[in-house]
Amino acid sequence: MNLSKETLKELYYNMVLIRHFEEVVDEYAKKGYIPGFVHLSTGQEACQAGVMKALKETDYKFPDHRSHGVCLLAGTPKERVLAEIFGKKTGISGGRGGSMHIIDIKCRNMGFNAIQGANLVTCLGTAFASQYNNTQDVTAVFFGDGTMGRGEVYEGMNIAAKWKLPILYVLVNNRYAISTRVEDVHSYPENLSDRAQGYCIPNEVIDGNDVIAVYEAASKAVKRAREGEGPTVLELLTYRWQGMFSGDPAAYRPKEEVEIWKEERCPIKRLREKLVQDKTFTTEELDKLNKESLEEIQGMLKYALESPEPEPEEAIKHVYVGREVQGR
Amino acid sequence: MRKLSFGKAINEALDQEMERDEKVFVLGEDVAKMGGDFGITRGLWKKYGDKRVKDTPLSEAAILGIANGAAMAGLRPVAEIMFADFITEGYDQLVNNSAKIHFMFNGTVTCPLVVRTANGAGFHAAYHHSQTPEAWFLNVPGLYIVAPSTPYEAKGLLIASIRDDNPVIFLEHKLLYEMEGEVPEEPYMVELGKARVRKEGKDATLIASQRMVYLALEAAEELSKEDIQVEVIDLRTLFPLDKDAIFDSVAKTGRVVLVNEAPKTGNYVNEISQTINEEMFEFLKAPIKRVTGLDAPTAFAPKLEEYYLPHKEDIIREVKEIVEY
Repeated sequence: MNLSKETLKELYYNMVLIRHFEEVVDEYAKKGYIPGFVHLSTGQEACQAGVMKALKETDYKFPDHRSHGVCLLAGTPKERVLAEIFGKKTGISGGRGGSMHIIDIKCRNMGFNAIQGANLVTCLGTAFASQYNNTQDVTAVFFGDGTMGRGEVYEGMNIAAKWKLPILYVLVNNRYAISTRVEDVHSYPENLSDRAQGYCIPNEVIDGNDVIAVYEAASKAVKRAREGEGPTVLELLTYRWQGMFSGDPAAYRPKEEVEIWKEERCPIKRLREKLVQDKTFTTEELDKLNKESLEEIQGMLKYALESPEPEPEEAIKHVYVGREVQGR
Repeated sequence: MRKLSFGKAINEALDQEMERDEKVFVLGEDVAKMGGDFGITRGLWKKYGDKRVKDTPLSEAAILGIANGAAMAGLRPVAEIMFADFITEGYDQLVNNSAKIHFMFNGTVTCPLVVRTANGAGFHAAYHHSQTPEAWFLNVPGLYIVAPSTPYEAKGLLIASIRDDNPVIFLEHKLLYEMEGEVPEEPYMVELGKARVRKEGKDATLIASQRMVYLALEAAEELSKEDIQVEVIDLRTLFPLDKDAIFDSVAKTGRVVLVNEAPKTGNYVNEISQTINEEMFEFLKAPIKRVTGLDAPTAFAPKLEEYYLPHKEDIIREVKEIVEY
């Protein structure tokens, strides 16, 4: 695939934006501005930017718990994504969900379900609805290597394959489920995603830090789904730079391993070097994009910081349709 | 009026709703070609085809996952879980998803699904085919629980449940499927959240649902021979609870016996007892009593199962006790 300059620019910008976004979230979580805990996707930007570029706004997206980038690129006003993480009234869900449940029906971000694996059966329903209504909308579901221990993955794949549902499975294999290494608790042939073959679903293992490879593979799988050929599993090999959540020292990982991924396999550095080498962009042009993204983030941050907290009574709104819940 | 069995009344409700609204579809194990393990979906597959009547593999998680996803995408799924006991395999989808979808989306999305499931003991099928599960869902805000006792209500409540925008768990007691009753041919709704006084009385109130309503009515009949006039309330909808109907009766009788066939500890009716205690205490003339299943799994052998289940005699005993209190 020969990517246009515009596409490459967008992929680069979106990765940088996610990186800067996560840095701000990390900083403000540690400063105590963000309640609860946040899962940062620093290091996994290519998985999110690459797949999202292959999807349309009308495609259904089921992000995973480490998916700020997916939510950021889905089409929601970005400042409202950050405001949700801050638990503010102006957050996309009015502060009822936070970092793990950024959700927006307008751009069909169906939200993360914090019960790992649950979305692997819920996603069948939106894909079924596309088929039922005879639209070509695809459903993309993100999940990690840890989730491969859940039965819903396989119960879902069986039906997805049999009904030829338009699903893109995005298995983000960052090698660790909290502290547990994938190979320590899973039994599989060469690749984790090879299990899909047992359900007659094709799988492809991709370098998840190569945004161009991710985008190309996702585009191919999405096309296949749109044309009624059924689901595909993309296994994206990547690594999270941080611990499980912001503040987790991740002592369970060898320092050298983390260093290799940071220094030698950074998805942003990698694309940057390629773009300069190919003379697609100059270093100055790319620096300018970095600066633009920082400015965009500052705008979001200002919005999130200045937004009011939700009214307490919002806690009991929208529990039922047409029925109020008794307050204090 | 025309008579129909409880099972056929449900079948007719499904058929009429599918005919009315293209968004309504049915899914579950054996629901298509076979027409359901209890024959409730019979004929629908022939009429509406593969697209709208879906046989699934054995995966309650997937059945309810599909229902949730499809409901979020604007369809109106009616999922069948063959036996209520199997709901545990899809429990996560109901309590962590269906119940919370409207809330999670800040009111911008609804989850209009119905989960029909056969519950109840007395079928000699042991502990994995006999349970009555409303208490499992009661502590989860976001779900409606409907439990009809007559063919008329089965049809009207199911139509109302399908048209409602909240997720509804629709309990069908398997010993009621063959019961006949008057059912209008045209579609109609029985309002959700409304109980029905099945028999009026002034001395005590019996509150029951599903098959237990008949036990309560039989007990009331016998007690009337001893000049104890018992009021019998059929809840019809277990959540939201029709407090008005209950309070009106409690204000009149001041004595209450709650009847339910699930085990006693943590029983659904405990919530009713506490609600009356908090809001109607001054009207009470005696402690609120319960007649329930025993705190044990439902055993198989008929003699064992009989021992587990509540009986008319238990109700009569409790009513007499509070009347004499």
